[in-house]
Amino acid sequence: MPSTHREIQELLADYASALRDGSLPTFLKSLTREEATRIHDSQDFWEATEVVRLMNSVGFGDRLVTPDVGLFISRVDAGIASRMKKARASTRDSSRSHVNLPKGFES
Amino acid sequence: MDKRLRNALQQLTASDPESRRRAMEPFVRATFAMFIRHLHRYLGNEVECEDVLEDVYADIWESPDHLRGIEDDRRLLKTVYLYYMRKRLREVYRRLNRRAYLSQADLQSLMAPDLGLCDLVSQEELKQLLHKMLGKLKARERRAIELWMEGMSNRAIANQLGTTVGAVKMLEFRTILKLREMLKEYSRESGRED
Repeated sequence: MPSTHREIQELLADYASALRDGSLPTFLKSLTREEATRIHDSQDFWEATEVVRLMNSVGFGDRLVTPDVGLFISRVDAGIASRMKKARASTRDSSRSHVNLPKGFES
Repeated sequence: MDKRLRNALQQLTASDPESRRRAMEPFVRATFAMFIRHLHRYLGNEVECEDVLEDVYADIWESPDHLRGIEDDRRLLKTVYLYYMRKRLREVYRRLNRRAYLSQADLQSLMAPDLGLCDLVSQEELKQLLHKMLGKLKARERRAIELWMEGMSNRAIANQLGTTVGAVKMLEFRTILKLREMLKEYSRESGRED
């Protein structure tokens, strides 16, 4: 990916390729200050990104393969369990701190 | 909306956290394909999509109020995108901002934009629409887009079309803007324009 003084059409093509190839962070890091300004000022660029996203979805969305949704569900469940644990711990802490307050200092 | 999904949604908006946790499995099974495909539009990276989606589902479990009363898939996708996915998408890219020159607002518009003209159109409808639009282009424009969608690099496309990489990028840019105009027209005709 060239790193300096890209014209707006080159920036769009590079954005499109980065989105397609799953390397958007690399594209973002490659932008120079001038290119960022160019993007900011270009209405065409912003309008074109919408089409690029749709093209990406039509062209590559169907190729998404998740071999085991069950495994993904267990990851989600583990995340939820961890949040529940945190919530319980914080409730316990706040009630404990309330109990320990001297008389007349309860909120 | 699928009956299984409707039931899961009802349980998901219950006040008891344990009931919501139990409802998550059928909810994930019913929505995973739809949600990950939508996220892929913005991230383009399957692993990132799964990571983000994992947090999105946990966020939904934690505060499901936005999903109350939803009765169709399109509204569900819109609500999940606007209230849960966008927040997580912004977080993915916020950490990059220290080294990127884009302003925070531009970064957000690029990575977690507002819903566009056809963002809630189903995948099948979108395929048909794109096919129809490509049919209206000049042969060279159509070929460039088709090759891009086959996964070819711009250099490979340039070789195929017998031109330079720079000329291919310009051709793609102009063609994409043409497609954008067609999309606008389609949205006006189908009453989807915001």
